[in-house]
Amino acid sequence: MSKPSDLVQGTLDLLLLKILALQPMNGWAISLRLKSISGDVLQVSEGSLYPALHKLEQEGWITAEWKQTENNRRAKFYSLTRLGRKQLESEAANWQRLSSAISHIVRLEEA
Amino acid sequence: MRPQHWLYTIPLRLRSLFRRRRVECELDEELQFHLERKIEEGIANGLSPKEARYAAMRAMDGLEQRKEEMRDMRRIHWLTDFLDDARFAIRSLSRTPGLTAFVVITLALGIGMTSGTFSMVDALIFKPYPVPHPSGVVTLVSTTHDSSFDNFSYREYLDIRGKTKSYDGVIANADMEAVGFSAEPAATPRIKGGMMVSGNYFHVLGVEPRLGRGFREDEDQVPGRDAVVVLGPDFWKREFASDPSVLGRTIRLNGAEFTVIGVAPETFPGLLIFGHPDFYMPLAMAHVFSTNRQKSFFEDRDDRELAVRARLKPGTTLEEAQNELAVLAKNFETEYPKVNRSRGAAVHTQFQMRTRADDGNWKFGVIFSILALAVLLVACTNVAGLLLSRARARTREIAVRLAIGAGRFRLIRLLLTESLILASLGGVAGITIGYGIVLWFQSFQNVIFMTDLPFSIPFRMDTRVLLASLALAALSALLCGLAPALQSTRVDLVNGLKSADVDVPGRKRLWGRNVLVVAQVSASLMLLTASFLMVRGFQHDLREGTGFAKDHLLMVSFDPRLVQYNAAQTQQFYKLLAERVKVAPGVESEALTQNIPLGTSDFDGIAFVPDGFQMPRDRENFNSTMDTVDEGYFETMGIPISRGRGFLASDTADSSRVAVVNQQFANHYWPGGDAVGKHIRLDSRAGTLVEIVGVAQTIKYQSGFERPMDFVYMPLAQHPIARMTLMLRSSGDPLQLVQPVKDVVRTLDPNLPMLHTMAYEDYYQNQAVEGPRIAMKLVGSMGAVGLVLAIAGLYGLVAYNVSRRTREIGIRMALGAASSDVLRLVMGKGLVLVGMGTVIGLAMGFGVERLMNSMLFNAGGVDIVAYVMVVPSLFLVTMLAAYLPARRASRIAPTQALRYE
Repeated sequence: MSKPSDLVQGTLDLLLLKILALQPMNGWAISLRLKSISGDVLQVSEGSLYPALHKLEQEGWITAEWKQTENNRRAKFYSLTRLGRKQLESEAANWQRLSSAISHIVRLEEA
Repeated sequence: MRPQHWLYTIPLRLRSLFRRRRVECELDEELQFHLERKIEEGIANGLSPKEARYAAMRAMDGLEQRKEEMRDMRRIHWLTDFLDDARFAIRSLSRTPGLTAFVVITLALGIGMTSGTFSMVDALIFKPYPVPHPSGVVTLVSTTHDSSFDNFSYREYLDIRGKTKSYDGVIANADMEAVGFSAEPAATPRIKGGMMVSGNYFHVLGVEPRLGRGFREDEDQVPGRDAVVVLGPDFWKREFASDPSVLGRTIRLNGAEFTVIGVAPETFPGLLIFGHPDFYMPLAMAHVFSTNRQKSFFEDRDDRELAVRARLKPGTTLEEAQNELAVLAKNFETEYPKVNRSRGAAVHTQFQMRTRADDGNWKFGVIFSILALAVLLVACTNVAGLLLSRARARTREIAVRLAIGAGRFRLIRLLLTESLILASLGGVAGITIGYGIVLWFQSFQNVIFMTDLPFSIPFRMDTRVLLASLALAALSALLCGLAPALQSTRVDLVNGLKSADVDVPGRKRLWGRNVLVVAQVSASLMLLTASFLMVRGFQHDLREGTGFAKDHLLMVSFDPRLVQYNAAQTQQFYKLLAERVKVAPGVESEALTQNIPLGTSDFDGIAFVPDGFQMPRDRENFNSTMDTVDEGYFETMGIPISRGRGFLASDTADSSRVAVVNQQFANHYWPGGDAVGKHIRLDSRAGTLVEIVGVAQTIKYQSGFERPMDFVYMPLAQHPIARMTLMLRSSGDPLQLVQPVKDVVRTLDPNLPMLHTMAYEDYYQNQAVEGPRIAMKLVGSMGAVGLVLAIAGLYGLVAYNVSRRTREIGIRMALGAASSDVLRLVMGKGLVLVGMGTVIGLAMGFGVERLMNSMLFNAGGVDIVAYVMVVPSLFLVTMLAAYLPARRASRIAPTQALRYE
């Protein structure tokens, strides 16, 4: 399995959960959203997006259903489950801890 | 993982598994949707449709790889892969039905023999006591010079119970005894098996009665006060048709009235391996049941009749219990030096008790396990050889798979799946065979136990045995499958693709195959040797004879206690009985004996000091087995008196005490001297003086296989016994004497039951000949199966080798090799392998012979004849298996051989 190259390991899950927490979306929309909110800083290959979504689905964190898009096309829409919300909370908290710790260390070195 | 999590994920996994096609479609559709959007976007950005499509695909980084990645995410690929493998394996196995059938049958024989044997070994050795937490129950034994597993006396038991702190209760039970039972006072008593147990027996074991209650502690305190009885589950079903109103009823045991207070549960058939007591009585009622009238059960510290067990306190180790008991035994020794000198004590687990070296069950278990595993080994090597050949024939297929990117591990898994399927089929068939063996064992129930007591063959095909058999099948799948799988996936790709069958340079590959042949030949040689030795050892012992005349003998047992005779009445009865049957028509001579030779019940023991014998400092007395007989015994049984005299009518209770010893005893204590006229003292140096008046020839006492043992005969008149067996020598058919005996007994007491009435020779045939014959049949069939498998395997391997080298042989012959050269070439290797196998097999055979001699037979040295018969015939047969394909090879026409393939 190829890992998203420019992303800190495990953060793709967090990003996807966060995006889906805002509203249910299909894969294409997610890829657009990822690009738009992170600018060009985070490069997520479209190839790794779907395996990641599948993994989240198999973990039971997100659930999928087939719905019509605004252009009347059938697409698979993902939404967060109760379990996923919990997971998002804990991963977000983790990330907060980690990033604040790292930035603290980085600042120390500069001082 | 949290269970709550599973709630979500299990339906998802199941969906991926069972709606596979649907899930695949959705996957396609989802990706397709994404691609279309991407293409639309590209076109909108000014790309041509073709360029846009190309860009979209590139952004995906390989569509198929992504799909595969997503499938992996479902976490069921191990299962789907397995199902794929299984489907493929079944298809490829059904392409070669003959080979598959052969492999399955071979495995079935191996697994069946082993699982049948395991059902036996499990029941004899491994199965825990049928009580809650059986591992906490330990056995306490008394140890002496002669026995490391002696019982305790009632007094000793009370001391142990009162003075130890390691246990949550100490229990005791006597042997299962023949007890006369009658439900109604008027009914003639019948013999049933009763066991005296301590009051806390059921409570400490954790056995809850199915009906009523178990004994109370206070019911075991006062001798003779509480006549209560707990019924065994089977007995309750048989005798009382599972009637719950049996509680409170009065039944008669040995003539005394007992009140039924409870019924033991179905789950508790007792702690014995073979016996299942019909009922349990408190130890305090011993005066009703005790057979030994010379000693007082409640008082004599050396009346050791009780098996003592205890439940270890949680947290207490076996060592702590051992140390505590050792101290107690030391105290016994100082307090009661007369009866406890150099007597120790030990604590053993159930497993230790069952695997003690002098235990016949353990010996049989070990020997049969070795043999069964040898059969399984031969079967597995056979199958491994076949699979190896099969895998080699598939070299090209495997090379192609490797070349297009299959992982080696994945291929090994595929091949192992094949052998797993073979082993499952073989396992199921094997369990069927094993079940057949168990049924076969059980069909001998009535042959082996010719007794009124409730014994049964405990071998079952239960969950434990089933699980073990399945584990065995899985293990043999791994054994047979792993080596071929490893070897055949180590292919040189270039050569593998070029030809269907490659010989890798070097000899490494053939090594495994040669080991198989050697292992097969040696294991089957060992099996054959073992079965031959067993047959010959048995025949040897039969030929050697028992030392007495078995024909024209009628046996009938009596127990006057069943009709409440006291000691004096009992002896009067036997006196009159002997007098009257002696003159009955057709009776040549008459004998009374406490135990019949080669019977089911053990002879009593006797402790003595040879008079004038300097006893070793650390021991009080010696021990011997003994029998109580009347004056007609030696003549009736045809046991020659080699010195002195037998018993006479003049040896009465009032005359001086006499005994007859056997030759072995005489040689043991007075080597080179004459035992007649010497004296022994009973129990100790201060005991009753008994004169040895005769020496009888040594016979077989307990079993046909025993080594000569010390033996003492006591006259009935001086050593009264309640339960005796009448032996009558007839001029014609012994069964014709049954009616005259009946007539005599009726004149004496019409209520007294005649027990065990049968011709001694029939009894002997069943008891001493048929039992060992069953064991021999089993070993014999193991040997036969082993031999057939080994021959088939060897033939297969050599034939395969020849077919593989057909082209090489063709070239040799085209270049001028004679057919004899080819024969030598092909045979030579087979010869070496068979030779090596024979040497190893011989060594293993010697090992097994030593084992069997030490365990089963009294034979000493090496049985040369067995080897002279087995080794050359095995050698010949295996050589024939190698010769046939070799001869075919030597007759190949070179033109044909070169065109081969």
